[in-house]
Amino acid sequence: MATFDRRAFLRTTGLAGLALGLAACGDSGSPAGSSSGGGLGAVKLQLSWKKNVEFAGEYFADSKGYYKAAGFSQVELLSGGGSGTSVESGLATGRCWAGLSAPTITAPAVLQGAPLKIVGATFQKNPFAVISLSKNPIESAKDLPGKKIGVQDSNELVWNALLKANGIDEGSVTRVPFQSDPSMLTSGQLDGYVGFVTSGPVRLRMEGHDATHLLLADAGLPLVAETFTVTQETIDNERDKLKAFLTAEIKGWKDAVADPARSAELAATVYGKDQNLDVKEQTEEAKMQNELVVTPDVKANGLFTMTPELIEQNIASLAKAGLTIRAEQLFDLSVLDEIYKADPSLKKPA
Amino acid sequence: MIGRTILRVVGPLAPCVVIVVAAWWLALEAFGISPLVGKRPPQVWEYLTASQAHREAVFGALGITVRDAAIGFASGMVAAVTVAVTFVLFRTVEQTFMPVAMLLRSVPLVVMTPLITLIFGRDLPGVAVIGGIVVFFPALVNIVFGLRSASPQATDLVLAYGGTRMTVLRKVAVPTAMPSVFAAARISVPASIIGALIAEWLATGEGIGAEILRAIGGFRYDEVWADIVVVTAVSILAYAVVGVVESLVLARFSDRPGAGG
Repeated sequence: MATFDRRAFLRTTGLAGLALGLAACGDSGSPAGSSSGGGLGAVKLQLSWKKNVEFAGEYFADSKGYYKAAGFSQVELLSGGGSGTSVESGLATGRCWAGLSAPTITAPAVLQGAPLKIVGATFQKNPFAVISLSKNPIESAKDLPGKKIGVQDSNELVWNALLKANGIDEGSVTRVPFQSDPSMLTSGQLDGYVGFVTSGPVRLRMEGHDATHLLLADAGLPLVAETFTVTQETIDNERDKLKAFLTAEIKGWKDAVADPARSAELAATVYGKDQNLDVKEQTEEAKMQNELVVTPDVKANGLFTMTPELIEQNIASLAKAGLTIRAEQLFDLSVLDEIYKADPSLKKPA
Repeated sequence: MIGRTILRVVGPLAPCVVIVVAAWWLALEAFGISPLVGKRPPQVWEYLTASQAHREAVFGALGITVRDAAIGFASGMVAAVTVAVTFVLFRTVEQTFMPVAMLLRSVPLVVMTPLITLIFGRDLPGVAVIGGIVVFFPALVNIVFGLRSASPQATDLVLAYGGTRMTVLRKVAVPTAMPSVFAAARISVPASIIGALIAEWLATGEGIGAEILRAIGGFRYDEVWADIVVVTAVSILAYAVVGVVESLVLARFSDRPGAGG
């Protein structure tokens, strides 16, 4: 009998562990948007990646008090990048109030029945690229077969879309598990990896390696990125709160675009201090990402806006990835329109 | 005999499965986890029965994971038994290497994996090393303890009749150590699955350990939960199989009929 007791004990403790794990998940859901302070309370913004200069606008909005001025007692920036920190699951479980994501991640969630919408896009152009070394370059999709490519799990769909859009058989490219370490490229474990064109090549160049990239936008996949994703409920019932938030974001990003050096400093010395970021490298990244954030359309219509043509392009790219979704299922730019209509001065650069 | 033993070990699993499924369901409801992320048992059942493609995705990955776990289990147990025997035969070896082994043990596997993949590659040798490490240390400690608990009287008897240390090992220490070996095997079965999942996540990029994270990336939570269910089921099943084998072997080695560890 002793055997059974011991096994039963193992099972019970396993269950207790499970329950504790779930309790920890459940706990974090409740406080969002209910604490004291500013009239709109505190909210959590789930970032799509670790805290680097990609979120410069958010750092400005926080450090210059734009969030506070908008009525928020606090906007907590939740670092992303690990598994289980996806914006979509965070929104679905109430762990965050808004998030920065990408259409390739939001669309499948919407198709699975999650009531989510994209209400604005920070990066107008697709920053995703296949990054390789110049001595072993991958310059077009045709170069991919036979190569070893590092792909993060969160970039699963972008990667599949790239293969499908170019008619490449999944089996012809070796996909290697990859976290975020470009040194796997220099050590020869990889021929290339999927990442933001703004970060990897700059870092590799600083380490003395010549890097080449294949932009996914040039490989038939124009897509926006760092999109503001919220629940339909927020759009319907907290419209003014969402407007206040996006207004603070616009102000923050205007500052960020205007001052890449300060953006880098905020990323390296304040918000992402624990990540040993290099100010010089981050400044280069900030300059590079400005080209993705500020396009002629954005100059005319304001930050984060998406023209109907851009939306169409995104829907077409998603279709190539096997994600058949209608524009009105995924995008709702009406909130942003109302903000700019009410205050056209927000369109002007800082 | 075999039939009765199987019944005795597997019988209690049925209520166990009911309890696990009920707890899974209740916990999700109690904490109000959205069904979009926290799939309930019927949703997983529906997912698995809905299409052949779903089953292929889940069971294809499971097959790879079971293979990886078996490789890790085998390499870890073989290494543990070999090293344990060496330790018992040559005490100085143990005194020299046990602290080193324990030191290595305290380095998190996730940190060592990039190094392991550099040395052993991302294929089966890498899997064997990563899985083997997870299995090796707990098994080693258990088996050394088992070999050491040989009765001094029996040892003296063998020596008095002119037996060597090898004879003592064969006739006394190994039979005495059997319960410990099986205790080690039982801990190692779930451990080897964990080792396989880590290896798949960080090294090979195939099997449940890789697919489950890709499914999260693609918001395919029904696949995630189906993966969890099948891998848990296999773990419990393998544990039960070791239990049956244990009862049968110990019955042969022990003077008590059908005694379980």
